[in-house]
Amino acid sequence: MIYTVSDLIKKYGSRTVLDIPYLEVEKEQIYALLGANGAGKTTLLNILGLLEAPTAGRIQYCSRPVNYAESALQSLRKEVVLVDQHPILFTTTVFKNLEFGLKIRKINKKERYRIIDESLDLVGMREFSSAPAQHLSGGETQRVAIARALALSPKVFLCDEPTSSVDVENQNIIITILRRVNEIKKISVLFTTHDRSQAARLAHHTIVLNHGRLVPTMYENIFRGVLQTDPFGQPQCTIQDKIHLSLSGDQIKDKRKAVSVFIDPEMIRSVKLPGDQATQNELRGRVVQMIEENGNVRVVVDAGIWVALLISKKRYQEIRFMVGETIDLYIPPEAVHII
Amino acid sequence: MDLLIDSFISAIRLIVSMDAEMVAIVGVSLKVSCTSTALAGLIGVPLGFTIAFSEFVGKRMTITVLNTLLALPTVVIGLFVYAFISRRGIFGPFDLLYTQRAIIIGQAILIIPVVAAFTIAAISRIDERYRKTAMTLGANRLQTAWIVFREARFGIVAAMVAAFGRVISEVGISMMLGGNIKGFTRTMTTAMALEYDKGSFILAVALGIVLLGLSFGMNILFHFFQGRVHSQ
Repeated sequence: MIYTVSDLIKKYGSRTVLDIPYLEVEKEQIYALLGANGAGKTTLLNILGLLEAPTAGRIQYCSRPVNYAESALQSLRKEVVLVDQHPILFTTTVFKNLEFGLKIRKINKKERYRIIDESLDLVGMREFSSAPAQHLSGGETQRVAIARALALSPKVFLCDEPTSSVDVENQNIIITILRRVNEIKKISVLFTTHDRSQAARLAHHTIVLNHGRLVPTMYENIFRGVLQTDPFGQPQCTIQDKIHLSLSGDQIKDKRKAVSVFIDPEMIRSVKLPGDQATQNELRGRVVQMIEENGNVRVVVDAGIWVALLISKKRYQEIRFMVGETIDLYIPPEAVHII
Repeated sequence: MDLLIDSFISAIRLIVSMDAEMVAIVGVSLKVSCTSTALAGLIGVPLGFTIAFSEFVGKRMTITVLNTLLALPTVVIGLFVYAFISRRGIFGPFDLLYTQRAIIIGQAILIIPVVAAFTIAAISRIDERYRKTAMTLGANRLQTAWIVFREARFGIVAAMVAAFGRVISEVGISMMLGGNIKGFTRTMTTAMALEYDKGSFILAVALGIVLLGLSFGMNILFHFFQGRVHSQ
């Protein structure tokens, strides 16, 4: 393992932004860190990047406990490099930006020049070597920042939203770079993203954060809801005042009124409702997207809320609905989880 | 009106002819002002940088005190330094009073808060990401500080230019600690005050023109560096 995180808590004032009981990150793998804004992705990245200390908990890096005292972090930081969501380049040339970290590592001049050329080649920015870094576009800046980090041959490369502020062309270039450095240089990569499909395409593993906690989902089918009691005294969760979902008995203990719920896409069933109206745990909506995913079909239905369900190809061939068609769904109480 | 026009024309002639007395006075002024600015830079820049770069209890109060010292009147500093370097003062045996060194000390005290406060402002304006980037690239605290300093360099130079502008035009300290001794501690401002007392305006106007020219040059430099700060 490159990281083993136990009982990690990070607080800003009295607000807990991260609460992770246990997390392992394997060596030489690509991890996508998914979550909405404010989920704690950047904070976790900063902690793993040894730039911020946790409020409580233990972190092991390469099986060694991390001591967050400034003097102890110095050597570890030479193995872990983080590129910000909006990276900043020093106000000098692209070349000198890349040279900074190499000089710190006391790499000789000839070797420095070779590494810089190689790194700029990797991101397709070699012809910009002598250009003033401040004159580069957003996408170019991002690529140079990645080259600057990779020139240092880190063991771990952390990237905060690497493609969020660049155009599609640069997005593809950056994704290719991340994949190549992992495959060729065997660098462990952790990147944050909002984009579930990008995570699925690039990452070997996905970590999903919701309000600072790990959740066992693919960052979909998560809704804010209110816990209520139905007319028969049974617990239910109401989403957007219009969708009422019964809960399985073991979830009634939660004392919160406003909760986040996750609906397991594999447990949602496509059915034919007898009446015109959807009732408790039933939804009627229009198919807006269908994608093949690992031998299954992921169907996204707009039922007032966008709900994704995952069905087998065999089942799909039986039902055969089309995009734009209206379908009915049944969400069993066991599929609804409070997170 | 005729007096002013005549004085102005004569003053221009004086400047063009590079009058020896005027050149000597300008030379003294530049020498003491440059030295005091350099001295204030040596103390004020590291002081301001340390305050801006570090987190410590009382940081805000320290900055408030520094900002208050910006308004310190030159005569107060003159009086204060006089108390130390006069014959009866604790530095009396060093015979500093009425020397260029006395003016330099007084002027440095005047502008150390200026340099420090402007340095703090320059460092505070630097994007926090520079520090974070340097750290993640493996820089230690000193190397990180150097990166932040480099990024703030134009702001710090602007601080020095502003400080020089302050001392080249001050009169209280030069008069009280230098004594306006001809050819030795007579600066442009003290010479102008003396010439005014004598009712002789030509040299005063000539020195005024030179002083204004220098101030103008300083302002151009200041705005150039300020512009570089904002274009970063």
